[in-house]
Parts: sequence; C-alpha cells; structure tokens
Amino acid sequence: MIIPEFEYVAPGDLQEALDCLASHGEEAVVLAGGTDLLVRLKQRLLKPRFVVSLKNLRGLEGIHKKDGVIVLGAMTPLVEVLESETVGKYLPALKQAVEKIGAPSIQHFRGTIGGNLCLDTRCLFYNQSQFWRSGRTPCHKDSGKTCYAEENSDRCRSANQSDGACALMALGCDVVLASTGGQRVLPVGEFLTGKGESPFSIEPGELVVELRVPEPGEGAGSSFQKITQRSAIDFALVSAAVSLRVQGGRFGGVRISVGGAGAAPLFLKEASATLVGKPIDDNRSIDATSGLARKHASAFMVENLGSSLEYRQKMVHVLVRRGIKEAVAMATGCCG
Amino acid sequence: MEKEFSLIGKRIPRVDSLSRVTGDVQFAADLKLPRMLVGKIKRSPLAHAKILHIDTSRAERLKGVKAVVTGQDTAGVKWGVFRYTQDMDFLPRDKVRYFGEEIAAVAAVDEESALEALDLIDVDLEELPAVYDPFEAMASEGPWIHDGYPNNVNVHVNIEVGDIEKGFSESYLVREDTFTAAEDDYFMSEPYAVTARFDDEGNLEIWMPNAGPHMKSKPLSNALQMPLHKVKVRKIAIGGAFGGRSEISPADYICAILSRKSGRPVKIIYTREENTVNVRMGHALTTTIKTGVDREGKVIARDITCYMDGGAYSSTGPIATSVPFLCMEQAYRMDNVRYNGYRIFTNKPIRGMIRMHGRSFACGIDLQLDMLGEELGIDPVTMRLRNARQPGEYTPTGSYVSSCGLTECIEKAALKSGWKEKYGKLPPWRGIGIGINSVQTGFPLGIRGGSQAIIKFNEDGGVTLISGVVDNGQGNDNMLVQVVAEELGLTMDDVTLITADTEVTPNDPGSYSMVTTFAGGNAARLAAVDARNKLFAIAAKALEANPEDLMLRDKKIFVVGSPDRFIPLKKAVRMGLIQGTPVSGEGHYAPKVDHAREWVKNPEGQLSEAFSFGASITEVEVDPETGIVKALEVTAAQDCGFALNPMLVEGQFEGSVAMGGQGGMLTEHHFWDGGRCLNPTQLEYKVPLACDMPRINNIIVESLDPAGPYGAKEAGMSIAMSAAQAYAAAISNAIGVTLTDFPMTPEKILKAIEDKNQQGK
Amino acid sequence: MIVKEGAGESVTGPMAKRGIKRFMKKKIPLSFTVNGEEVELYISPNRTLLEVLREELELTGTKEGCGEGVCGSCTVLCDGVPVRSCLTLAMEVDRHDITTVEGLGEQGEPDPLQQSFIDHGAVQCGFCTPGMLMSVKGLLKRNPAPGEEEIRRGISGNICRCTGYTKIVEAVTAVTTGSNRKNHEG
Repeated sequence: MIIPEFEYVAPGDLQEALDCLASHGEEAVVLAGGTDLLVRLKQRLLKPRFVVSLKNLRGLEGIHKKDGVIVLGAMTPLVEVLESETVGKYLPALKQAVEKIGAPSIQHFRGTIGGNLCLDTRCLFYNQSQFWRSGRTPCHKDSGKTCYAEENSDRCRSANQSDGACALMALGCDVVLASTGGQRVLPVGEFLTGKGESPFSIEPGELVVELRVPEPGEGAGSSFQKITQRSAIDFALVSAAVSLRVQGGRFGGVRISVGGAGAAPLFLKEASATLVGKPIDDNRSIDATSGLARKHASAFMVENLGSSLEYRQKMVHVLVRRGIKEAVAMATGCCG
Repeated sequence: MEKEFSLIGKRIPRVDSLSRVTGDVQFAADLKLPRMLVGKIKRSPLAHAKILHIDTSRAERLKGVKAVVTGQDTAGVKWGVFRYTQDMDFLPRDKVRYFGEEIAAVAAVDEESALEALDLIDVDLEELPAVYDPFEAMASEGPWIHDGYPNNVNVHVNIEVGDIEKGFSESYLVREDTFTAAEDDYFMSEPYAVTARFDDEGNLEIWMPNAGPHMKSKPLSNALQMPLHKVKVRKIAIGGAFGGRSEISPADYICAILSRKSGRPVKIIYTREENTVNVRMGHALTTTIKTGVDREGKVIARDITCYMDGGAYSSTGPIATSVPFLCMEQAYRMDNVRYNGYRIFTNKPIRGMIRMHGRSFACGIDLQLDMLGEELGIDPVTMRLRNARQPGEYTPTGSYVSSCGLTECIEKAALKSGWKEKYGKLPPWRGIGIGINSVQTGFPLGIRGGSQAIIKFNEDGGVTLISGVVDNGQGNDNMLVQVVAEELGLTMDDVTLITADTEVTPNDPGSYSMVTTFAGGNAARLAAVDARNKLFAIAAKALEANPEDLMLRDKKIFVVGSPDRFIPLKKAVRMGLIQGTPVSGEGHYAPKVDHAREWVKNPEGQLSEAFSFGASITEVEVDPETGIVKALEVTAAQDCGFALNPMLVEGQFEGSVAMGGQGGMLTEHHFWDGGRCLNPTQLEYKVPLACDMPRINNIIVESLDPAGPYGAKEAGMSIAMSAAQAYAAAISNAIGVTLTDFPMTPEKILKAIEDKNQQGK
Repeated sequence: MIVKEGAGESVTGPMAKRGIKRFMKKKIPLSFTVNGEEVELYISPNRTLLEVLREELELTGTKEGCGEGVCGSCTVLCDGVPVRSCLTLAMEVDRHDITTVEGLGEQGEPDPLQQSFIDHGAVQCGFCTPGMLMSVKGLLKRNPAPGEEEIRRGISGNICRCTGYTKIVEAVTAVTTGSNRKNHEG
C-alpha cells in the first residue's frame, strides 16, 4: 500500500533537526529506523505533513560508561546494543530484550534503541489497515471515542509491547530530551505516560537524544523474559524484566517491570518491595512476589493482543519468577 | 521396476530454479505492459447489507481515472463451481455478504489516483443482520444470506454404508467426542495479482496465479460472454497455491472488465490482507465422531457429523464438505459408517479447499483411536495397523484401492522414530504420537478430468512439450521435463516447455486435485512414447532392424545389444521431415473414475484412480509452565507410488510438516471481531519460522501404482494431514490430556494441564 | 541539507510514462548505487526503496509479500546489512549502496550460494527466494561459518511457506563448509 504523501526533510545536524521540529510542531514525525513508523504510515494510522529524517545526524550513536552512568545514544542501532560489551556486562536484561526484538533482518540493523523505546502502543483493534478500521466509529487511540478491546472503556486500552522499554523500566533509565529550548531529563517512568492515546511525554519540537542507565553496582543482576508464539518476529504477548542486587545472600534492591500489559511497561513497586531482605533461595517468597506481580499487572490487562487474557495474566507470574531466578543467577555468577 | 533410468527416480535439481534464484522469473505482479493502469477495488465496510445505490460519477471525473466499474457493468452471470452452486456475482448488484466484498473498482494512471477515486465512489448500503457463526447462522430467522438456502445451509453431504446401529450394538467399546478447529489459511508467499489486457480484436490476455488455467478461462468466457478461444489465460510463475487459487476470483473478472472499459492493460495487486480475506481461506469445523470398536481395537461402526463454516459463498462447497470424510474413509477400514457433512453460510470471507483438509476431522478420528486404544490397552501404532487400509480393498463409498503402502509407512515410521523405545517411556512432558491419512490422486472433474500433451521436434533434436499442466511451485514443470527427457533419451536442457496457456495448451485438470503427475505426467510420457514409436519406425528402416529392438538414449537411437548400430536422434527427425512424415507426439490420460459419482447427489463409485497414504510420527516436549510446545522430531513416511525425483518429494514432505503439523497444530488460526478478521497478515497469523522447525526424517514408500507414470501418485498432502494428527497425538500424549480444540495453542495446553491437576486433587 | 521545496516538475524517464500528473508532486533527487551501478532519480519522498527498485529501476526480483516487513521477501542489503526495503523510504538510502538479488553472481552465472540453493532443492515456488538469499548473504558477511542454529536464526525473519526450511539450511551449510567458502561474499 502506498504511503500518503508528505514533505521530507533531512536536517544536517542536531541543531537543524531541532529547529525543524520546533517550526513544524505537531505536523512532523521523526524518522529514525522507520521499521514501525512506515507500517503505521501505510495503515494510515497517522498522516503527518512532515517527515523529519535523522539519517544525517551524527553524535547520537554510541554507548559509553562515564561516572557510574551507562549512556546510550538514542540513534544507536540495535545491533550495536547487542554487541556492546558494556551492555552485556552491566545490563544483561537490555541485551536479552534487544536480542528478542523482531528478527535480525528486520530491526537489528536499521532499528535504534531510541526508536524501540518510543515504539507506539499497540492493540489488535487499532493496528489494522485503514480499510479494516472503516465502517465503524474510530477508537480512542484513533482519535475517536470508543474502545473495541474493552467494551465501554472510556480510555484507550492499548499495550506497550516494546522489549527495550520493558527492560529499561526495570533497569531504571533517564531519558534525555532535546529541543531548541535546551535539554530536559525525565525518568523513564515519567517519559512513558501509561496513556494509550498519548504514550510519551514528548512536547512538539522535542527529540529523544540519549538514554542514561545507572551502573548497577556490586551484586547486580538482571533478566528479560518474553512470551511469544514463535521464536522470532513476534511482539510480546507479555514480557517481564527484573533488575536486582544480591547482598549477603539476600535480595537488595529489586525492580520488576511487566510489558504487554498497560500502555507503559508497569513498574511493580509493591511487588518488587516484597522481596527485599528475603534470602535469594526463598522460593516461596519468590513465588509469592510473582503472584503479586500477576495480580497487580492483571488489573491493567484486557484482551487486546492475540492470545487469551487469562493466559497472559498467568504468564506474568511465570515470567516474573523466571526473571527473578535468572537475575539472581547472573548476580551471584558475576560476583564470583 | 527393473528398468534402469537415467533421470527418473534421480535427485535432479529443478530446471526452473535458476530463474528463481536470480530473481528473473516473472510473477503476475512483476509484469509491466505499455500504458498499463493500476486497478484498485472498493470493498464493503459492512458484513451484510443491501446495495441501495452506487454513485461513481465523482470518481469518473477525477483526473487520471480511466475506468470505473460496478455490478452494472457485469452481464449478471453468476459464478459457481457447480451448476447448482452458482451464487456469486463478481461485482454484486443486490447485496454484499461479507466485510470486504467487492463493490466497485477503478483503473487509474497511478496508485494514488486509484485510491483517491475509491474514496470518491459513494455507496449507499442498508445494513442487514449478520451472522458469524455456523450454529447462529442455522438458527437465524433470516434474512438468509442467499435466497433459496433456508437456515443458511449451503451443502449437505450424506453418506451411509452398512448398518450403523447394528455395528454399535456389536461394539465392545463406543466413544463419542466432538472436535473443533478455527479457520486455517494458505498464506502462500505471493499475494494475489492479476494483469489483463485486450487487443484490438477483442482477445483477452490475462495472467494470474492459478491451479489450472482452464478452470479460469471457461468461467471468464462465460462471465465476459466471449468465446473461449478469445480468452487466453497465460503462463506465469506462481508463488504457491495450497488449494486456495483453484477458482476464478472476482479480481480476475474485475481486472478484465477494467481493461476492456479503459482500453488499456490493467494490473491489480492485492495487499496481503486482501490475499487473506478476499480470495479464500480454510473452513472452521466442528466435528462429532462416534466410533465403536471390538476388543482388538478394530473399528466396527462410525458416525460422523461435521459442521463447516463456509463463509459467504459456495465456492467448492460440495467438494470441501466431502473431502475430509473421504480422506479418512480411504485411510481406514470402516464397514459401517455414516457421515453427515453440513456447510453453512456465514457473513465471513469465503472458505475453500486447503491442503490440511479439516484438521478437526482428521485429528479427531486419530485422537479418538488413541483414546479407545488406551481403554483397551492397545498402543496407538497397533490401533493404526489394525484398521489401516490394505491394497485390493474398496472404500465404503466404493473406490477400489489398487496400490497402498500404508502398513509399510506405519511400520517404517515407527521403526525410524524409535516408537517402541519411546511410547510410554519418555520423561515427563515429552510425548510421541502418530497420525495416518490418505489423499486422492484426482477426482471426478467431468470434461476437465483428463490431460493431453503434445510434443514437437526441432531439427537439431531438441523438443518442445506442450501441456496444460500448471506449476504452483511444487515442481510440476520439472516433472514434465524429466519424464519427456527420460523417454526420449535427452538431457533436461533439451526439453522446452509450453505449459499452462489456454491459447495453446490442451485440456488439463490443474493441480488442485493432486493429479498433475498422475494425469499430466502420464500424458507427457505417452506423448513421448508416441513420438518415440514414430522415430523408431523411421530409424528401423534406416538401421534395417525391428522397431522393437531399438532403444533411445543419449540422443541416439541404437539397436539393443549393438551400441555401434545407431543413428542420432536428430537424424531421424530430419529423415521424418524429408520423407514427409514429420515426427510429433500426442498423449492423453484421463484417470479412470466413475463419472456418475457426484459429491452430493451420488457419492458412490470410483473417486480416484489412485490414493496416496501417509503416516507421520512426531515427538514433542511441552513446557508445563507456559504450555509452549517444542517439536523435537518428525518422521514423515508417505506412499507416493514412486518418487520421480526424491529430492523434490522430500521438499514436499518438509513443507507439509511445516504447514500441516508445526503451523497447523500449534499456531495457525484466524480469530475474529464479528466479520472482521483480526489477523489477516503474517504478523498475527503465525506461520512457522526457520527456528521453529524440528528435525524431519523423510521416508519414501513406493507401492508402484499400476496406473501412475512409473508408478507415481500424489506426493506430500498425506504428510500435511498426518503430520497434524501426529502433532495432536504427541501433545496429548505429553500432557496426558486429549485436547479437542485446535490449534493446540499454549493457553489451551496450559488450561488442560491445570484442569487435569485440579481433577487429580 | 534541507531539501528545496520546488514546484515539482514532471521529469523525463520512467516517470514521464505516467503522462498525467494530477497535481504538483514534489520530487526530490536521490542518488545511490544499486548492484554497483550509480543511479540518479527524482522521486516523490513517500516512495519506499522497494517501490523504487521495482517500478523505477524495473528490478522486480525483490518482492512485496506483506508490505509490513514481516515476511522478508523484500530483503535487500544496504551497505552489506539486510534491511526491509518495504519499510525503508527510498530517500533514506541516498548515497548508500544497495545490493539486490540481481546483483548476485554474474550474467547468467549464479554465485555459489545461488547454485547451492538450486542443487539442494531449496527453491520451490521461488517467491521468498530473493529475500532469503539476501538475508543469508547478510549473515555470511558477519559470520562466514555459521552452525545450523545460527543459520536458522539468520533466516528467522524470512518466511517460506513451501520448503519447511530444511533444504534451505542444507544449501547454506553446504556452501559454508564446502570449497565454495571464499566465494560467498557479495
């Protein structure tokens, strides 16, 4: 299907790009890898007047560690995140997440980590062709007033299926946004709004330029788990990321996030807290925590992806438990 | 078969692979003709509605638009595979019956103009109540989807043989189970596309994927009200069919009338979504099977009722409703059997025949046998052996089975897969299962049943074979070349093909009844033999020998036993030309079937001249926490009569395991939002990927059918079906619960495990 | 480089065949190399690389199987790495090197990978084959001796409906373990 017409702009550097975004505002979309944007353009889920290509921008790629922070340029290709020693050593959950994104020949070379973080929320009833959506009133995400995933819902019930976002939510990450007015930094939990209609705290004119993940420190481990029907290509039916620290044989800080549930990956604060202080081999507690994670995540879930709601809810429990165990194994393994 | 072949039976690369690896070969969407227009179709946004008015005036006025058509531009000739199922206008005049049905179409200079023109067509529809489920459709109080089909019952096939009630009363054990399956779908790699052009004399040339060009040309000639010789369906590379491209499609007709109206060539390329929703898909089935067995596990009586969700039009209804049953009556002995098959209209996309025929049906029969066997203390392989079809028998509906290697398939598969060591002895959550099936090699197709082939010679000894055979990607073209080259002592490069072009090539049944090798291959072989006999008559004189003592090999005709007494093939050709007796060959073959046999009115008599038989065994491992299945190994054993090219036969087996087993049993199904298909593309309709596939062991069993060319019959489909059954059985074995709803997705498997644990408490 | 907003002229070459332009389309210049040849076009920026390859350059070997990047039939190499041409705007490959299936082998002579596909029966209907070959090329550039699992992973984004993948994997294995190894790059 042909893409609707637009004006194509290819700024030569970051400043030009920001000027461009500032002047076009809401009429512009940003094109990085494009593996998600182009699908949505073809489906006419959006019809921007301007497409601002970042292809000429330099300096927004690369991964380095400085002052206890691992910095990833937003335009770092996914393959670079996969091959990065820094990421592999300090942020295994992110590496695992990126590995599971789609397939190598789709996203890994063209896709960027910033683009994956900014993956729009999804729903079976929304991510369809223009024809499919015609003949009835549009849904909330489609600028309408109804929801086809959940009857009578007064808000959008689409889900965040980004593997990178789920991992980054657990790892804790700051998102750096640039504009002609300067820079601002948002924690990822604020950057991702949890609102299906407008999932990102990006003002018109702003561009995500950098992700900053704090170096996990001693005794740290993390893991990313994903449920799909096939071994590649698929978006997560549900996913979980766990980032934790082991101190003296017990759980230190724990962060559990669940993806494929709400319109942002859910950072399950309460469930995460229940593990702190428990011995790392306390399987009963791990299981209880996982069950609590399931309970809390379930509140956000509706039948909007290609699998039964009950099954996805059950899988939250399984994935969180597996994530915790794997993160512990990593933590204790690397401590030596 | 004692004869030594140079090409037949050998693993030879296909002659048409080169053009595919270079990207040179042309599919319908690749064609580019001068002044060609882009065609686009306007589709109904409602699943059931009366068409009140269509106003195309604004679209017609748009710059760049060269033609707009609606139902008013048709001659009102309805299409149907059978005379009694003619229910489809290609562009409806009265009402639309499914979400996405064709309403109007445009041809314009580019895609943007065409799309804009679609938006400018105003359609007034009056919505009617729609039904989306066969049971709901049957219970509906109207309006019926089609007048004349009360309660939306499209087809009822009723077959009854023997004495069912007596059989059940004499059975030691009786079970009744119901099995269900959602729609499966072809998802062939190539989205549908049509290119059409009329010349100044009103001849139509048209290119589109098909499973038999003659099956397309006749309906086109009817609908366009043109004589058949002016409708030329041309040869084109086809990216898979799997049963979904047999019939004339509205796109074919629409493209033709757009071309006629605009006076220019038109190309319509379907999106993946259109290919899914607007061509065909498989049927959803609900199958209730009641089976009675004796103490040894032999089936005494069987009663099957099947409801099939047919979608909005009849399509191949009578055939689709019959084949799932017929496959099983071929595979298994059933002396007392009753079958009631119902195809029901619903306001959903149209359903057609598919490679994995009726998975709930086939898997149901085999899973039930496993359950009966378990109660009797008889293992699944033994249950199959006790009931398997044997050669020399008749099926319940009266087909004589001449060649049958089913028992050999079962035994060899069991041996190779390590069945004895594994069944009942695997670690927890591992399972092994068997499925067996049988597929027709051709069925009654009236005047379309036979194939004819013609061979012409060039004076340098090269040959052109003219045949109506069509290749959907499975290697039919290569098969023809192998056969002719073998019989005429040529190399593969010496044979040129003209195939699947209705202007030039003679009648052929097409590929959708699995009969290409049997009919088309036989016709080609006979044409070659005919040519060879004529060559021998010429050579015999020249060599002063008897024609019976001659042999043709390496482009030489020589006397058997005296290799230095020969003349080159090309010399014999030239001699024929000089003598005024030019050499050509003609061959034809029509399978011996009972032409009085009719799917609904008279389902008795010889259905096919030969049947293939297959047995598959699958080993799986289930993750009890997630319900996710990992297929470890599949052993696929099929009696294909004779493997003309083992490498190509293996390719069919492997593809069949992927489609019928791995995809068909684990992940492939359509799900719906009313009349809207929620997963029309490969993102959400999950066909297997390379890293999903298990190891596959191929076993070719050769029963040497007396009628098939070199003994060959259908190759591959018996695996597609038996692999599905084997996966179903293996998973049920792994979790200790028989699942009755397919595909066996992780959620269903997990639920079954949990329910079982609950019961155990 | 901000692209000039011109009035958009109708240009010579393939675009002129269309004749009528409905309105002023803004066409902008695009230069890149395809299979080693330099190409210069004026195109409307909403065209994908796939459309430009197939329609402007008439290189129809690369296919559209789904239009949303899932099936892999549209896979080409961009600077040696596999990308989905149906999800790449043509303007994004300005000044880059594209290799399509037509760029493999020499005139009439398939390269060792293509030959291996032929020899092993890895080609049935052939629709997925060009994209499959390009993904394999991309894999072999980074990993010249992949094991079976790595091969399957490398083609996990290419859907084949006909072969079940077995013979494709055999064909790739043969070319990487056989004497053809040195010839399988680009």
